[in-house]
Amino acid sequence: MSESICVLPCNGLDKCAGDLSRRVALELAQSEEVELICPVLINQNKSRYEKALAAGTLTVIDGCNTRCASKLAGDLELAIKEKVNVSEVAKALDIKLGVEIRDDQDTQAVVRAVLEKINSSAAEQAESEFIEPESIEYNTFSHGKFIFKVPKANYFFNENDCWVTVSGNMARVGVSDYVQQNLSDILYVDPPEIGDEFEQFDDLGSIESSKAVFEIISPVAGTVVAVNTGLNDAPEQVNESPYEKGWLVEVSLSDFEEDQDLLHDCPAYFEFLQRKVAEIDV
Amino acid sequence: MSESTFMGVERDRIDWSPRIDFTKCNDCMDCVEFCPHQVFEVDENAKPKLKVKNPNNCVVFCRACSKTCGPDAITFPDKPETTKMIKAIRKAEKEAATDE
Repeated sequence: MSESICVLPCNGLDKCAGDLSRRVALELAQSEEVELICPVLINQNKSRYEKALAAGTLTVIDGCNTRCASKLAGDLELAIKEKVNVSEVAKALDIKLGVEIRDDQDTQAVVRAVLEKINSSAAEQAESEFIEPESIEYNTFSHGKFIFKVPKANYFFNENDCWVTVSGNMARVGVSDYVQQNLSDILYVDPPEIGDEFEQFDDLGSIESSKAVFEIISPVAGTVVAVNTGLNDAPEQVNESPYEKGWLVEVSLSDFEEDQDLLHDCPAYFEFLQRKVAEIDV
Repeated sequence: MSESTFMGVERDRIDWSPRIDFTKCNDCMDCVEFCPHQVFEVDENAKPKLKVKNPNNCVVFCRACSKTCGPDAITFPDKPETTKMIKAIRKAEKEAATDE
């Protein structure tokens, strides 16, 4: 772990799973790069942690599926980089945690597994951070009074007009210029939840204009790592910059090579879109 | 040329369209109003009134109408199964093309 991380755990007083998230957090906090965030204190006084949060990325540890820690981060508008759920890790190990707080072999195994999960994904992330390209060149064509833009390279599309652009093992997903022009002024973006796992062609939330609701149909399979929070206050960025500032979801990919079989590259989508636009407007 | 393909596969070979459970449907017609592709039809004199008239107009993998459905009467085929089937058809066609 080269970068510093902030860890926001479940409060850990209610039941066993919570207690384990607290134990994991305390283990992590032994490292100098880790700053522990007390959920009670941050709820009371967010500014106390402002510096730490600005310097590092945020890992949230939820005890159970009530996900108090995630929800707290959401309420405080903190950007979550990484999420683990103790109950899910325990379930994968086939260990029942129950209510009673206890320290035995089972709970120690869960603590170890959660720690491994956090450490390995931190290592993976370090080498697969999404890096924005310097500049993007476009091809355009016009139809009536409309001009449609499609990037020249490095984007892939499904026939549901959603794009993906890849950087290492990470990718960003958004909608094409055609979708934003079709919907006109986008008023609302309904993003998926961070940590959601999804298959290719599952939906990744939706965007809404005064004309219609458009379901984001994912061009790839993966896990939601981040959503573009800038769109909460400025959904019009999807209209103004559909391929860049208006990206919707950042994901870690599960098998892009497999997904590519059902995707168009830029020149192919450019042709597909020309045909589609010509046919719709008869 | 008609736009009746999805990823190179003829649209009518892909089984993707809404299925209505009429034991749940309450005739609100929100789905009809929602769908811009004329997939549904309403016949006031028929019973039930709602009909999936143009299943192949349905956008493959779109399930948006089912989300507007209050009583949850609309379902769709399994996505992974459908994806698998489309891939299989494409593979078979590619092989057939290279055999020629």
